[in-house]
Amino acid sequence: MIEAQELTKKFNEFTAVDHLSFTVSPGETYALLGPNGSGKSTTMRMLLGLLRPTEGTARISGHDIRKDIVAAKRVMGYVPEEPVLPERLTGWEYVNYVADMWRIERGAEREEEIDELLTLLDIRDASDDLIETYSKGMARKIGLIAALVHRPKVLILDEFQAGIDPRGAATIKEVLNGLSSRGATVLMSTHILEIAEQMADRIGIIQEGRMVAEGTMDQLRQKAKGQASLEEIFLDLTGGPDMQMIAQYLGDAGDEG
Amino acid sequence: MSLTDLLILLRQDLNQTFRFVGTGRRSEQKSVFRRFLGPIIAIVVAVVIILAVTWIVPLIGWNTIAALISQNLAIGSTLFNIILLFSFIGSIMVSATTVANSQRMEYLMTMPISLRTLFLEKTIIIIVYSSLLWLVIGTPLIIGFAIVSPLPLAFLAIISYLVFMLVLVTIGVAFGGLLGLLFSRIVAGRRRLRQVGYFLMSTLAILFSVIWYYFLYSSEDSALFEWFFQLAEQIGLTSDLTPGYSVSVIILGLLVGADFGLIQILVVGVYALFAGGLAYLNAVVSEKAHYSGWLMSGSKRSSKEEIVIEHEPWDPQPIPGFTFNKTISASIWYNITNVRRESRVFARYLMGPLQFVIFFFIPVLTNPEGMGFFTPFLIIAALIPFSTSYGLYFAGYETVYEGRNLLNLQLAATNMEDYVRGKIYSAVPFTIAASSLVGVLILLVYVSFWFYIPLIIGAAVFTNLASGAVAANAAAIGGDFKAQRMVTRQRGSSVQMPIRGWSILRAQLLPNVIGYLGTFSMIILGLSLGAPFAYLALPIYGVLCWQIMRHYSRSAGLALARIEASEYL
Ligand SMILES: Nc1ncnc2c1ncn2[C@@H]1O[C@H](COP(=O)(O)OP(=O)(O)OP(=O)(O)O)[C@@H](O)[C@H]1O
Ligand SMILES: [Mg+2]
Repeated sequence: MIEAQELTKKFNEFTAVDHLSFTVSPGETYALLGPNGSGKSTTMRMLLGLLRPTEGTARISGHDIRKDIVAAKRVMGYVPEEPVLPERLTGWEYVNYVADMWRIERGAEREEEIDELLTLLDIRDASDDLIETYSKGMARKIGLIAALVHRPKVLILDEFQAGIDPRGAATIKEVLNGLSSRGATVLMSTHILEIAEQMADRIGIIQEGRMVAEGTMDQLRQKAKGQASLEEIFLDLTGGPDMQMIAQYLGDAGDEG
Repeated sequence: MSLTDLLILLRQDLNQTFRFVGTGRRSEQKSVFRRFLGPIIAIVVAVVIILAVTWIVPLIGWNTIAALISQNLAIGSTLFNIILLFSFIGSIMVSATTVANSQRMEYLMTMPISLRTLFLEKTIIIIVYSSLLWLVIGTPLIIGFAIVSPLPLAFLAIISYLVFMLVLVTIGVAFGGLLGLLFSRIVAGRRRLRQVGYFLMSTLAILFSVIWYYFLYSSEDSALFEWFFQLAEQIGLTSDLTPGYSVSVIILGLLVGADFGLIQILVVGVYALFAGGLAYLNAVVSEKAHYSGWLMSGSKRSSKEEIVIEHEPWDPQPIPGFTFNKTISASIWYNITNVRRESRVFARYLMGPLQFVIFFFIPVLTNPEGMGFFTPFLIIAALIPFSTSYGLYFAGYETVYEGRNLLNLQLAATNMEDYVRGKIYSAVPFTIAASSLVGVLILLVYVSFWFYIPLIIGAAVFTNLASGAVAANAAAIGGDFKAQRMVTRQRGSSVQMPIRGWSILRAQLLPNVIGYLGTFSMIILGLSLGAPFAYLALPIYGVLCWQIMRHYSRSAGLALARIEASEYL
């Protein structure tokens, strides 16, 4: 369960997240959508204790992130936008490192489970290589496995699909659906609107750190006065491309080429 | 906070540096021998030292040495204070750097531990690295003495040494870290002040420790701590309370069987507690610094107001009066800008050589009358580490830290040799500044030396050019191009160098050999045959250095191109 209350983050005078409140219940998948720089990652980073909110707070499975961030972290799994991983460890070592930190008992059972995850995401044969040799997608997959290995109650995924092959993305989607139907809370951000449409029970659209619309697909459709697709809704709410500028640029570029 | 967490973190951190277990087929494999080379060398060095001690001491006679030591138990205090001092200088900005780069530890920060635990672990890792040298060199010395000592308790000295050495390093590292953090707090949010401030702070800290060291060295009752000692004496404690003194008295006392008081043990105990407290405080303050964002880099956008930006046509001419080709110009400009932007790095680079120089100045400072005639030579000798180090930092380290960007440049068909040259040239203005300062210093102490000042400046520049190229080449061969991934190797942290193994030895040794031989040959020539002869030799030295520069910058360029072709940086 995630309950964000008036979360606010300021970097100097610049407000990246502006009194954002939302709730994600157990078993629910919630997608945060918004243009680049609208504050999605910053929101997630506050929930994870990487940044401290300037104002407001949040509760993760009942643990206030301001008062007991360690307890909150214990129930969360996080897949960052840009995975920063220990490059000099092998994938296998890293996942076990994470499992150790969460005090998952060592033994055959744990190893089997990790093996299963590695096989599921097709990176078992690279698991003994140093992470620095991984491709971008492989690193993300290891990051995802590390986030899943301690069976988190709350999963936070920042653009999990970026750089992942279709098979991997489909697998992850299935895994996430399975976890969520077993009661996990899933918060994700994505720029691929089909993913949000397919997976999310509810969607929050933010712009300049503020929630501009929130609800199920049906509720959003109503709000956007009959727009059919999420893309249309999104562009309607956050502004579409500047056709005039594009034409001007293409005109300029055309002169040269 | 739990000890288990701390231990797991430490184990994985060490595992990343000292990897003894092999890896899968994608990763570059080092042979078992290479993987264990470090420990093997350490053990060989240790054995050699132990053998040497056990061989030499009986030659002189144990009784003579024991008597000598027990009469001067304080003799070691200087040495032990050096341990503290070096750990301090080396880690002034280290905590601030760690916090500023904490994004690289994101995967650790989401683990179910407090950031305090995490920063404490990083402090411990830095303590471990800072103590490696003392471990490898100091321990076998003590072991050697313990073996030859007839006293049954002498072996306790080994354990005491290990524990006390860690205490000293911890005090140095944690105190340096705190100072850096304190300073970051003062300048937080003030861009200008931060630029200037970091610089002044690092400089002052280094100068301060030099002075402190000087006082420790020049008088047994350190003047700087006088008030403290007086206070201590009044409440019935003896003087000589510096950490190094107490430690020295106990360790040497155990070795030769000289008495030391309970008070010394107490004092060391207090220092040990103090060390632990400082390290913990360092972690607490680091955590605070992280959350409050004092150290937030200013590079990210932080204002939504529209600022009209005019882009001028870009044509840098970084060193006035010289025209270079585009690659060289861009490289000089980029290097200087890049270093200057992070003022803690800038300060570290410009002031770093002072650490070596301390040694040259100690005799002058402690005994100015006796040194009279030699003073200008010492000052010149002290200049040379500046020219060689600037080469190492600007051309060697920066080549490594530029890392992946070099790959992009090569895709842009940049001539790597020229690019390396740019880095080498970028240190020249700073060398000229440093050597001019030295010139002024010489004028102050020994006016009749004025004739040699242009020579010295010229020699410094040539030495600098040669050093830069040697260092760049060493960097291309043995650089750890992913140095940034380790806290202890990051830019601006001086705990571990970004160039590894034999390469760093080459990068440091060869330039100094060239510099000292060249400069002093010219001066000796001048003093023996007449000053103009020195100036006749200058062009020869110049040509020599220029050739060295050309040779090594070419080979550095080739090596970098090869790395690009064969492995990802
Ligand atoms: N450490 C920081 N210092 C200053 N500004 C920051 C920092 N981190 C983020 N910002 C600013 O906060 C705003 C929100 O950034 P955030 O990364 O949350 O966006 P996002 O919605 O995740 O965008 P994207 O879709 O591109 O991932 C941006 O304007 C960014 O420039
Ligand atoms: Mg983002």
